[in-house]
Order: sequence, then C-alpha cells, then structure tokens
Amino acid sequence: MDTAIDIVLKFVAITVAFVVVLLVVAYTVLAERRVLGFIQGRLGPNRVGYGGILQPFADLLKFILKEDIIPDKSTRFVYSLAPVIATMAALMTMIVYPFGPEIRIPFTSITIPLVIAHFDVGLLYVLGITSVGVYGIALAGWSSNNKYSLMGGLRSAAQMISYELALGLSLSGVIMLAGTLDLAQIVDQQSAWHGIRWNIIYQPLGFVVYLIAAIAETNRVPFDLPEAETELVAGFHTEYSAMKFALFFLAEYINMFTVSMLATTLFWGGWNVPFIDLFLERGSFLFGLISALGFLFKVCVFLFIYIWLRGTLPRFRFDQLMSFGWKILLPLALLNIFITATLIYFVS
Amino acid sequence: MLALLFILFAGMAIGCALAVVAQRNPLYNAIALIGVFISLACLYVTLAAPFIAAVQVIVYAGAIMVLVVFVIMLLNVEHEERRRNRLKFLVPAAVVLAAVLIAEVAFMLVSVTNPPPAVSNIGLTGSIGAQLFTRYLLPFEITSILLLMAIVGAMTLARRGGLLSSDARLIPGVQQLPLSMVDPRAAPDDLRLVETDSSEEAARLLGVDPRDTERD
Repeated sequence: MDTAIDIVLKFVAITVAFVVVLLVVAYTVLAERRVLGFIQGRLGPNRVGYGGILQPFADLLKFILKEDIIPDKSTRFVYSLAPVIATMAALMTMIVYPFGPEIRIPFTSITIPLVIAHFDVGLLYVLGITSVGVYGIALAGWSSNNKYSLMGGLRSAAQMISYELALGLSLSGVIMLAGTLDLAQIVDQQSAWHGIRWNIIYQPLGFVVYLIAAIAETNRVPFDLPEAETELVAGFHTEYSAMKFALFFLAEYINMFTVSMLATTLFWGGWNVPFIDLFLERGSFLFGLISALGFLFKVCVFLFIYIWLRGTLPRFRFDQLMSFGWKILLPLALLNIFITATLIYFVS
Repeated sequence: MLALLFILFAGMAIGCALAVVAQRNPLYNAIALIGVFISLACLYVTLAAPFIAAVQVIVYAGAIMVLVVFVIMLLNVEHEERRRNRLKFLVPAAVVLAAVLIAEVAFMLVSVTNPPPAVSNIGLTGSIGAQLFTRYLLPFEITSILLLMAIVGAMTLARRGGLLSSDARLIPGVQQLPLSMVDPRAAPDDLRLVETDSSEEAARLLGVDPRDTERD
C-alpha cells in the first residue's frame, strides 16, 4: 500500500514539476522576444493580453492548428521519432534537481522534499540524458532527406561531442570539492555562511568553462551553427512543421532551462538564499517558498544571459568553433582540474 | 514491482537486440542498439548499480553510438546488399555458440539458488571509487594507458595523409604518380609510376581529402 501511495505521489510531483517548467519555458520564449525587441529598438509582441502575456498560448494554438507536413522522400518513422527523442531527453533531466529544501506543510507535520528523485549519481544522470538528446537533432537531420538538414544534423553531432568533454571536465572541480555526485548533497554543502560557501567562489574558471560549453551544448548563439539560418535555411529542422517543429523548439528551451538549473545548483548555491535563515526557521513553509523562489530567480538570471548573448554576439565560423572547443576550452577545463586537485591536496 | 520492471526492460532489451540483427537499414540497426544499451542501463538501476547505469548511458549510448550514427550519416550508407554466399561457415558456428550460451544460462538457473544479499552498496559511486583507487589501481592505470595508446595510434593513422607538403596541389585528369608516393610500404626510391583516373582517386590513394588541398 505504501509503495502505491509513493508512486502516486511521485507522479503528482513529476506532473507539477513539468507544468511549472513548461510554463517557465513558455514565458522564456516571450521574454526572449520582448528583450530581443528591446535590444534591437522595437517593441516585440505586446498585443495578446496585457503587454503580451498571453502570447505563448497564442503561439501554441498556432502550432497545433498548422498543417503537419511529412516530406515524401523522408524516412517516416525516424522523422517522427526525432522530435520525441529531443523533447523526452530534455524533460527527463528535470527529476533530479533540488528545487528547494524540505518543507513542512502548514498546520500539519508532513514534510515533503522539493526534489523528485534522490539519486546517488544525479549529476552523471543529467550528463547521460543530455548526451542522448543529440540523437533527436542528428536523426532529424538525417531523416528529412534534405542537404541543409543533414548538414545541420552533422554539425550538431560534431559540436555536441566536442563540447560535452569540456562540459563534463568543467564540472569535475565541483565534484572534487563536494566529494559526491548527489545534487541535493552538493547544494546542502553550499548552504553555510550566507553565500561564502557557494562553489562559484572556489571554481571561477570551472564556471566560465561550464557556461561557454553549456551554451554550445544547447546550440544557442553564438554557437547556433546547426541552425545557422544564413547558410542552412533552418538547419536540422528545415523540413519540420506544426507540432513536430514545436517539440524541437520546446526541447531547445527546456535544455536552456536545465543547463541554467545545473549552473545554479552546482555553482551558485542552488536554492540557498543568503541571510534568510537569520529570520526564518529552517524547514518552515515560508523558508522553503523563499528558497524555491530564489532558485527560480537565479535560473531566470541565466536565461536572461542567454537572451542577452543572442542579442549581442555574432555567430562563430565552424572551424573556429571546433578549434575553440578543443584547443582552448578543453585545456582550460583540464587546468581547472589540476589547480583544484593541487589546492585540495595542500589545504586538507 | 521489481519483477515487473525486469520483465519490461529485459523484454525491451531482447526486442531491440533482435531488431539490431534483423533490420537491413544500418541506421535502424544503430537506433536499436542504442535501445539495447538504454534498457540495459535501466536493468542496472533495478539491480542497485546506478553508477554503472549512468556510465553505460554516457559512454555507450551518448558517445560511441553518436560516433556510429555520425559515420552512417556522413557516408549516407544505403540498405545493405544481401550477400548470400559469403561468411556461410559462420551459421553453424553461431548455432554452436548459441547452444553454449543457452546451456550456460540453464546451468546458472538450476545451480545458483542462494539469494543475493538484500542491501549492498557495492554499486554506489563511493565504493566503486574507493575500490578503483586502492585494490584495482594497477588494472585501472593499465587500462588508461591502453586507451592513451589507442588515441595515439588513431592520431598516427589519421595523420598518414599529412605526408604531402602544405603547398601540394591536385591536378585534374589522368595522372601518374611514383609508387613510393602511393604505397607506404614501397621503398622511397621506387619511382615506378602508378596511373589514376582522376584527382579524386589520386587523393584517395594518397589518403588526403581532395577538398583540403583545393581550398587554398
């Protein structure tokens, strides 16, 4: 009986997390369009609802109502499978992030943790699922039977393999400091001293490498070569329309969101908000709420950086991208591991 | 509960493995193989070995199979032609090996009866790390040296085309090349000529990418 209740609770938690994440993602799209408009000296969408707040739903409705075109010469099965893989891989990482501390529901003695799955290898799980996500893009490029799509798919596969190494190695410093791969424990270790224990202070180089590699992993400007519209029409999703296109779009934004959550969790203290434990009791409802909101705020700052970069930077050339990844980012990540290991050896 | 999950993932693994063998399209083979790796990873999780599961997904599904898919896409391999006559002798060998495997599994099922310990932390990251860096340090280091050698070997093989100087040019049309330029085993002063049809073929024989030399 207990296991049945457990399973139901997990499903509820997963549903809540997915809905919250999808809402945030929907509004990231709107924020991106408004902020880009602001950067480029125009208004952006502001007509649907007050200041455009219903725009994401209008977009969604449009995606649903459009005709779903499957090209005649495409490989049908793989063509339909690719967006599913992309979205699923993006969503699956959501379950291991600690969104907040344990909270007690008011007027009861029930405490619930604000994390769905407590996983001994949470960080490796995230890296593994992220690395599976590349199949969505690669297979989409291949199955469309279109040279631009194929080029986009190949570029994306090459890019993601190259930057995954730097990404993984840049996280090694944090893992060495924490001594665990469990994301909840890594956050707990950063909770003392009101922000002085946040890993960003001890791992600045690792954070910079992670941020750059993460932007490349999510195929965003200035690393958006898989969909470089000036040369490849739209890259791997040239042939996709309606909901299938929407799924790729969704996957890209969810990936941005998860990558930002990982940066927050590992480097910026996760849900820890400095100084609130002076006023509030740890474990109370208000404490949990403020912590979770703090987590969301930090993630949103990273999402804003993504949008800001898109409005600011030009795109890399492909050979620049490759040599930057292999010759600069990867050695820097290795250097970070070396420095961290040396410091840990001499300090402890 | 665990039995249900086992049946689910084992069934997926077997189904995908059959698809790996049965499908004719190389890309479908690759996708099915990814399916096998992922279902195996799920089985590892149910066996309380999350570290192995994560590494299985990262290394096999996330890295090696991406390279395989990449190559299939790059070469745009079409359906494999049916080669009925070649490798026929492998059929009886396969039957014998399958019989041995089934006999082994049957033996395991019959003879091993004692249940495994209920709680164990052998599969957790901490215990694996401690074992790797103490008891199994030597095998661990030897494996890493082996991998390093493989990387150096791959680099050496890939760089064989770099024998040409950087300002070498490919001339279109039929051309004659000294044998020593084409065959690395020939003596360096072997000046017997080899004829090729096109610059692409010459480039292929020399192991260089024709686009590389044409570009600048």
